[in-house]
Amino acid sequence: MPLLSKIKSLLGLALFAIALVGCDAGVPEPNLAPAKAKAAQCVEPTADIRKNHMVYLDKHRDKTVIEGIRTTKHSLNECINCHVAPTREDGSAVHYTDAKQDHFCASCHTYVGVKLDCFQCHADRPQVAENPNYQHKLSSTTYHLSATTAQPDASDLLLLGSGQVQGATQ
Amino acid sequence: MSQINAYRRKFLAALSGVAAGSLASGVILRTVQAGDVPAKPADQPISNQVRWGMLIDINRLTDGGASMVEACKREHGWGNDPKARPEQQAQWIRTVQVTDKLTQHSFTLPVMCQHCAEPPCVDVCPTGASMKRADGIVQVNKHICIGCRYCMMACPYKARSFVHENLTDQRPDSPRGIGTVESCNLCVHRVDQGQLPACAEAAPQAVIFGDLNDPNSRISQAVKTLGGSQIRADLSLNTGVRYLGL
Amino acid sequence: MSSKSTTYSELRASKAYYLILGICLAVLGLGAMSFFHLEHEGHHVTGMNNQVVWGLPHVFAIFLIVAASGALNIGSIGTVFRKKLYQKMGRASALLAIALLLGGLAILVLDLGHADRLIIAMTYYNFKSIFAWNIILYNGFLVLCLLYIWTMQDRAVKAFYPYIGFFAFSWRLILTLGTGSIFGFLVARTYYNSAIMAPLFIAMSFALGLAVFIILLFFTFRLDKRELGDLILNRLRYLLAIFVASVMFLELARHLTALYITQRHGVEQFILLDGGIYTLLFWIGQVLVGGLIPLSLIFCRALKNNHWSLLLASTLVIIGGFVQLYVIIVGGQAFPLELFPNAEVQSSFFDGELNRYTPSIWEWMLGVGGVALTLALFYVGMKVLRFLPESLADSEVEVN
Repeated sequence: MPLLSKIKSLLGLALFAIALVGCDAGVPEPNLAPAKAKAAQCVEPTADIRKNHMVYLDKHRDKTVIEGIRTTKHSLNECINCHVAPTREDGSAVHYTDAKQDHFCASCHTYVGVKLDCFQCHADRPQVAENPNYQHKLSSTTYHLSATTAQPDASDLLLLGSGQVQGATQ
Repeated sequence: MSQINAYRRKFLAALSGVAAGSLASGVILRTVQAGDVPAKPADQPISNQVRWGMLIDINRLTDGGASMVEACKREHGWGNDPKARPEQQAQWIRTVQVTDKLTQHSFTLPVMCQHCAEPPCVDVCPTGASMKRADGIVQVNKHICIGCRYCMMACPYKARSFVHENLTDQRPDSPRGIGTVESCNLCVHRVDQGQLPACAEAAPQAVIFGDLNDPNSRISQAVKTLGGSQIRADLSLNTGVRYLGL
Repeated sequence: MSSKSTTYSELRASKAYYLILGICLAVLGLGAMSFFHLEHEGHHVTGMNNQVVWGLPHVFAIFLIVAASGALNIGSIGTVFRKKLYQKMGRASALLAIALLLGGLAILVLDLGHADRLIIAMTYYNFKSIFAWNIILYNGFLVLCLLYIWTMQDRAVKAFYPYIGFFAFSWRLILTLGTGSIFGFLVARTYYNSAIMAPLFIAMSFALGLAVFIILLFFTFRLDKRELGDLILNRLRYLLAIFVASVMFLELARHLTALYITQRHGVEQFILLDGGIYTLLFWIGQVLVGGLIPLSLIFCRALKNNHWSLLLASTLVIIGGFVQLYVIIVGGQAFPLELFPNAEVQSSFFDGELNRYTPSIWEWMLGVGGVALTLALFYVGMKVLRFLPESLADSEVEVN
């Protein structure tokens, strides 16, 4: 009997290890190029906005909906207008649900596994056809969804809330 | 006939009210707009001194309000949700043809949220998502809407719709999404910036939009001289949308 | 006559017990599937639309919630009205009340457009909303039922039993008032807007809660080979008759009032005369199957002491109550809102048209899932704690 239980627990351990290895292989490295592209131009310091953007958005949304305050500084529309290009270079639409995960918000949110429900209601990209005057300020050459990639460095990982991402530190 | 003409003259006079006799026609529209909806600084909250209202003269709406409906669809992007069945499509504003059973008198009018002073939808909402702004605009705060649809049961005007599916590419100024209730919000995003609601802009010959609390506004002058009836006035909801020619 | 002591015990493990549990879990799985499908796809896969905004899930949910407050009545009759006969069933009655309420609430919550925002419903309150009152009433009801069970199960707190029992009884009356008022306070809809909805829902809760209790009591005693005497069954039988009759009486009063008010003639004609399926459901389902036939079964002399006729009557009361809620909820919405009295209206938004509603398979799955949750909770509860008396044979029960 003890032998059997030993075998059982060994088997369990092995399965667990396999599962771990499987998970490890499954974690895709985030491409932070979109997130970093226009960091310098943001309305708040990078570290602050990365950590607290949801707080700013939350406060602003209530002021807008209830009090009718429509300043642009912390407006979600302005985030999108600045950080999301309406289309990729091949002309396809950029959406936060795309498997490519190259939408500005999705590039991080998918990686850290935090649900994004702003875009159930809000437009997740500038609507150029109906609003040619949207304020997207990136040219196609600096377009942050282009081929350039940026791997997370140590400070990014700190912000992403985990120092233990396998393989990312090399 | 002459009575109607006299009535029309009066309405025209009211319509041109503030801007009467000013400048060339192209400028008039803009002047009138500025007078109707004074631009509010973006960082200032709305005030309860204002009560937005709309007066619609259905005799001057040659198309029964169809152009207003089209303008609303363009502005807010509803009416073409890909998966919803016809009876599941949202309708923020619609034209209703009314024919009296006895007299056969018939007319068509646009019906949308009537922006009641005492809105039943606000009373019943469990979370407070269905809300009335300080300036009288009734809308849904979709951030806290749980999608229970009780407000749709409570609204006497059938003004509310429920979004039955996932949507993409909404109009940036008019968020609408799955599992929440929505309705006419008098184009809050435009009004806050000193513009007219899209439907009022689409039918300037028949619609006056403005501040019902300001005795000198065009709309106040117009309703004072011409009246303005409410749909289901029996419910005493004191609606912000009034009609001439019902 | 001194009070005899009653022995309570857990359900015995049996094949039948696990079979029931297995079926419940399978159906529960269907309900879960439906929820995830709705959550993922949106409500376009249901039969509900912008005209008929509440559909079959709400019928199931309100049925279970109304029956929940009624199920507690068995215990209340024992505690508040000091009927010893009913005291023995108090524990099971409170357990059933909890199970029914949780089943109903689960359906209601999972049908929300944003079930993921339940936390908002619990943290943002609009105190003018009857829905918001109901959220508080439901939570309070659950707490009171648990306290009630505690005072019955634990000798140490037995002193509180009559007080908790009385408080729970008052609370459940207010709760059903609240449920009825969800409809009664809708000023816009002529079929609902009436104070009588509150007492009507209370009467319905008495009838439905008792009918569900009778059926579950009977089959659970059979399943567990416990004795259930005629004395108790006949008491419940005539109680059921009184409740069914009062539902019919209040419905009669409601319709008579509406028939006197010209504004309501349209919707009354629709429900009572030419509403197609709704008229059929009203007369055949609600009045005949849910009212007249059960009353005849109960009062037929030849069927006295006949268990099966009581069970049939209870089943019919349940079917009739379900149909009644369907006619009220869906039928009331099928009739168009009247914006302009005495006029024909038409629009692209179905103004002036009779609204169509056909429930989809997903709505059925969600509904039966809630029923399965109720049964699963009830049976698991009885398996782990001592809710059922060993015997309710005639020799064991006292009548006072």
